[in-house]
Amino acid sequence: MHNAEVSLLFSNTLGDRLAAAVGFFGFDSLMELVGFAIAIAVAFQAMKGYTLAKERTLLYLNFSFILLGAGLLVEGLANLVVLFSRFHRGGLLFLSSVGYTINFFAEVLAFGILIFAYLQQTRAWSMQLAAAALPIMLVERNPFTELILIFLLVYIAAQTAINYSISKTTNALLVFSAFTSLVIGHVFFLLFTVSPIFFPFAHIFQLFGFLLLLAMLFRVNQAR
Amino acid sequence: MMPSEQAPTAKPAVKYRSQLRIYVDIMKVIQREGNQAKPTRILYGANLSHDRLVKYLEELKTLEIIQETGDEEKTYSLTQKGIEFMNNFRKVESFAGAFGFKI
Repeated sequence: MHNAEVSLLFSNTLGDRLAAAVGFFGFDSLMELVGFAIAIAVAFQAMKGYTLAKERTLLYLNFSFILLGAGLLVEGLANLVVLFSRFHRGGLLFLSSVGYTINFFAEVLAFGILIFAYLQQTRAWSMQLAAAALPIMLVERNPFTELILIFLLVYIAAQTAINYSISKTTNALLVFSAFTSLVIGHVFFLLFTVSPIFFPFAHIFQLFGFLLLLAMLFRVNQAR
Repeated sequence: MMPSEQAPTAKPAVKYRSQLRIYVDIMKVIQREGNQAKPTRILYGANLSHDRLVKYLEELKTLEIIQETGDEEKTYSLTQKGIEFMNNFRKVESFAGAFGFKI
């Protein structure tokens, strides 16, 4: 009854896809909240590092993960509110779009800041300008928004791959795998705009990416 | 121009170490020497001139990060505060390095 009720509330194309993925609702929010907690832990570690070393790239890392965490928190909570609201659920559905919009802009900014940090090290100013000129205007999950995020994430994943190929450390491998996992997650989000079957996979890969970052944090803090 | 010749205007890319980086380099040398390092070892290990070495050693002593022992032949060792600082710095270095950032 509950699933059928939710399914009826969606009527447009995106709604149809969401309705088909409705069995996964709730889990996606929980995964996003776990991602939020891990992102904040990474941001905290970056802030600790900045306090000690006064290195600006760590501050960028801190901002980036705070934004990532905030976006995940807002989207996760917005979806939970819609899922658990007993009355006026139809009226509250716009919250999902608001949550996604905020998360999208937060992610674009977060990945943009991270790319800026990488470019600061390589001093490629023309690329910085190109990153800053990204278009921003969208509301619902669609192929265009996902393509922007994939584009940004692929650049970051490539940078972390280069770092791993040079340093060959386990921590660098974990960070590279984390961003690769986030790329795959967003590729599945892109495919979700075609078929609902990809929705759970997208969230699972996104969560896996954050768990890899958590593993890296544990390793860093356990090292003597 | 021959391939081996340098353009006269080309300047070598010089990256200066921050004060913190120099402190850390000094502390790393002391740790590498078994927490008992002579000034000459630190001078070569941290790649510093004599004047700068004296300046930084004084600053680290004032911060109670290192301590000086011996009258004629001075040696330097990390204090407990210095050891804790290095442990924390290594974690930060490892964290930043995982993302490919140098500090």
